[in-house]
This record gives sequence, structure tokens and C-alpha cells, in this order.
Amino acid sequence: MKIVVDLNRCQGYAQCAFLAPQVFEMHGEEALRYTPLAPEDQSERVRRAAAACPVQAILVEEEAGPGVR
Amino acid sequence: MAADTLYRRITDHANRADPYPLYAELREHGVARQEDGTYLVGTYHEIAELLHDPRISSDQRNRTNPDEFALGREGMPVSFIGLDDPEHDRLRRIAMRPFGPPHTPGRVDALTGEIAKVAEQLIDSFRDRDRIDLVDDFAYPLPVTVICRVLGVPREDEPRFHAWSQTIIDSFDPTPGTDPTERRRAGLDARSAMGEYLGDLADHRRGRQSDDLLTAFVNDPGPEGGFTREELMTTSVLLLIAGHETTVNLITNGMLTLLRHPEALDLLRREPALMPRAVEELLRYEPPVQLLPQRSPLTDVEVAGVTVPKGSPLILVLASGNRDPQRFHDPDRFDPTRQDNQHFGFGSGVHSCFGAPLARVEAQIALTELVRRLDAPRVVEDPPPYRRSPILRGPRHLLVEYGGTRP
Ligand code: HEM
Ligand code: SF4
Repeated sequence: MKIVVDLNRCQGYAQCAFLAPQVFEMHGEEALRYTPLAPEDQSERVRRAAAACPVQAILVEEEAGPGVR
Repeated sequence: MAADTLYRRITDHANRADPYPLYAELREHGVARQEDGTYLVGTYHEIAELLHDPRISSDQRNRTNPDEFALGREGMPVSFIGLDDPEHDRLRRIAMRPFGPPHTPGRVDALTGEIAKVAEQLIDSFRDRDRIDLVDDFAYPLPVTVICRVLGVPREDEPRFHAWSQTIIDSFDPTPGTDPTERRRAGLDARSAMGEYLGDLADHRRGRQSDDLLTAFVNDPGPEGGFTREELMTTSVLLLIAGHETTVNLITNGMLTLLRHPEALDLLRREPALMPRAVEELLRYEPPVQLLPQRSPLTDVEVAGVTVPKGSPLILVLASGNRDPQRFHDPDRFDPTRQDNQHFGFGSGVHSCFGAPLARVEAQIALTELVRRLDAPRVVEDPPPYRRSPILRGPRHLLVEYGGTRP
């Protein structure tokens, strides 16, 4: 799945880094690094992370439509 | 009715099942001064600004008339939810070190398997019945088991700390017109007892290895230095209470809302991948923490054209901000697929909820499993009886009948 984080909007709340730690990683207290092409086995975690982002900065493009597990 | 009685009406237990019309009335006034000089704020943009305003304090000592019982006591001072930066930030960071990123990024993710297992076992036990109390049989035991595991507290001590926790929660019940003195004193005693209990547990973990927060607090203080024993006690009390008096209401309010919206329940049964967003909508629509009663301004502050004097009690009604039509389209509609959803369910700003990722995963798993496994569930009594607290709002019991359980 493809991931884009709007880093202008991201405020470093780190909700994503708790919920999908293999995909989103905090460097120090504020800077976010992420994997733009995440393996499919991370999709549930990435969905959790995207929903939890308080500023909705995470965009996810899934291979299959939502709901297919 | 007069706007200066709003707080009295909001805290009145008779209005607990549906406080939302009162919040609509509050929003019409922007800021509502109460008979006793307390100020209520219920509009989204004003609440957002105040939550990010460094002139707004969470520390009772900055009130003109501090509530002496909220000041803690010797040996058991206030925890970081009631302190301002830089002290708040220092303590929160020490607490975060074993709980989340950057130092321990995998903690919550590693718990998901266990949370699912607890949910599964609880629902398995419903098999031979056709009616449960969702609160006592599911929504309470699940987060308690999880927070015990996270902190390193023996699950079998639950009756002890549950009694303390209830006493503490009741002690800050703000219902005006009731004499709080006795309740407050009992609350302080319970806090001290719980603090000693957790401090002793931590002392016994010194030099041992175990994957829990109490063990980490005493054995891995980190570069900034760790907690003093007092700080460890107050922080652990905060985590144990916050971890088990809030999530229960998210799960219960959540299931009640889904049962009231059968089309949403069907949708989530067909497409469980939508659950994370649905939980965000529940946090907006029926937030377990309805209002923040602790703030006060460090200097006179203008809010929506009203001057709130330095040191006055300033109450931010999060649940009202969540229903503000100036911010949310069709706010009284429950829409589990809502996209633009920057709600106040976990607060905002420097005090925003420490345990939010854990609470989110717990609620997502709990509701997914309930929706998937209960056949034809229905509420027996609507509205259900509510807990006393207007702050931590949720049903005391929620009787649910069902046709059967699925594997
Ligand atoms: C659905 C469940 C939960 C809800 C709705 C919730 C809500 C909130 C809210 C609104 C605040 C802001 C308080 C303020 O600004 O004064 C807060 C703070 C806090 N929450 Fe939660 N919470 C939940 C679960 C948890 C859990 C599971 C934990 C512990 C693991 C926790 C620990 C805390 C702590 C320690 C604070 C204080 C943060 C600070 O002052 O920096 N919460 N929570
Ligand atoms: S949750 Fe959102 S705001 Fe927070 S770090 Fe991740 S992308 Fe940024």
C-alpha cells in the first residue's frame, strides 16, 4: 500500500508511530519518518494510524478496496 | 432558562442520559458565567484555542479559591494532569519512556494480540446465555485486565483498587449544592492508599526483569533521571485510574450508539476495516470525558468577547465542542464514515490523552468482536441507568439481549 503524509499538516503527535511502528517512526520528539510503500501485512495497522492522526495528515492508497481483508 | 444555571443543570443526574440540548444552549451563549463565578465554554474554536493557550493553567494553585482537596497532600502531591509545563512535560516524558515512541515504539502494537484474546474469552463466556450486562461482563473487565498487564499490577487485586478508584472519582464529582467535604477527604485517603500500594509493588520490582511500566520506572530511569518515589506513586495512580475508568465508557457508549443505529452496525459487520474511523466518530459523538473542570487563566483572558478573570474556574465542555455546527457538518448525526473529524475526545494540546493509542486499539478490538459475534443484539432498557459522574459519563449497566453467539 502507498502512503503519503502531508508533513506540512503533521504536528508530530506520534499517534501513527504507536499504532504502526514498523511504518511510522519518530526521530527525536518531533520529526516523523515513514515508509511510503508499506507491505500489505501492515494494512490493518496503517488504517488504525491514519484514522488516529489528529490532523488527518495520512493518506493511504490500498491495492484492493477498503473492506477486503 | 438562565445561562448562569447551566452547570447546575449539566451536572444534574436527571440530565445525564441526554445532556446534548444543554450543550446546544451553552453554545448559544459562547461563554457562560455561572452563579458562583465559574466560566463554561462550549464552542469548538474557543475550546481549541484555550487548550493551546499557555496562559491557561491546569494547576489548582493558580485559582483564586483553590479547591484544597484538589491540591493533593503531603507525601501525595498532584499528578502531571494537574501541573503545567515545564514540570508537566518532565513527568509526562519520564512516564512515556517505557510506554511509547521514541523510546518504546512497539508497546501498544505488541498488546493487540493480548487484547483480542481477552475480548475473545469474555465473549466465549456469553455462549450459554441470552442476556449480558455489557458493562460488568465485558466493557469493564477488558480495559482493567489490559491496564493491569501494562502497569504490572496483579489482576486479582482488582477489588481493592476498584474501591479506591470509585472513591477518588466520586470525590471530584462537581455536583453543586452537595457538601463535598467528607467525599473529598475520603478521596484523598483512597489516593494515598492506592499510591502506597503501587509504590510497594514498584519497590518489589527493583532489580527484577519484567515487561511492565512499574518495573521500567524503577529500573530504567533514562538519561533525564527517573521518578522520585512520590512521583512514581502519583503517576501510577493517575495511569491506573485513567486506564480503567474511561475506556469502559467508550466501549459501552460505543455499543449503545451502534445498537441505536442498526444500519451502522450492519455496515461495520460487513466491513470491519471501517472500525478505526467509527471509533473516532464515537469519540466525537459520545465522548467518555465530557468536560475538563480543572483549567483557570493565569491572567485575565478574553474568550469570545467575555473577559474571564485571572484565577477563575474555567470549564471546557469537550462534548459540546464536538457537536458544534460551526465546526462539524450535521454534528448531531452519527456517521461512522465521517472523514473530517478532529474531535476533542482525547482533549488537545500538551495534556492530550497519554493513553489514547491504547484506548483506541482496545475499543476497536472490543467493538469489532462484539459486532461480529453477537447475533441480533438489542438493548433491553433505553436509556440505560447512568453513572453518577457528569465528567466521566457512561452507563452504569447496559443490558443487552441476543439470539446467540458466533464462533
Ligand atoms: C477512551 C478512553 C480515554 C479517554 C476518552 C481519555 C480522555 C482523556 C482526555 C480528554 C484527557 C485530557 C485531560 C486534560 O486536558 O486535562 C486525557 C488525559 C490523560 N489520559 Fe486519557 N483517556 C482515555 C484513556 C486513557 C488510558 C487508557 C490511559 C492510560 C494508559 C490514559 C491516561 C491519560 C493521562 C495520563 C492523561 C494526562 C495527560 C497529561 O496531562 O499530559 N487515558 N485523557
Ligand atoms: S499521527 Fe499525524 S500528526 Fe501525528 S505524527 Fe503521525 S502523521 Fe504526524
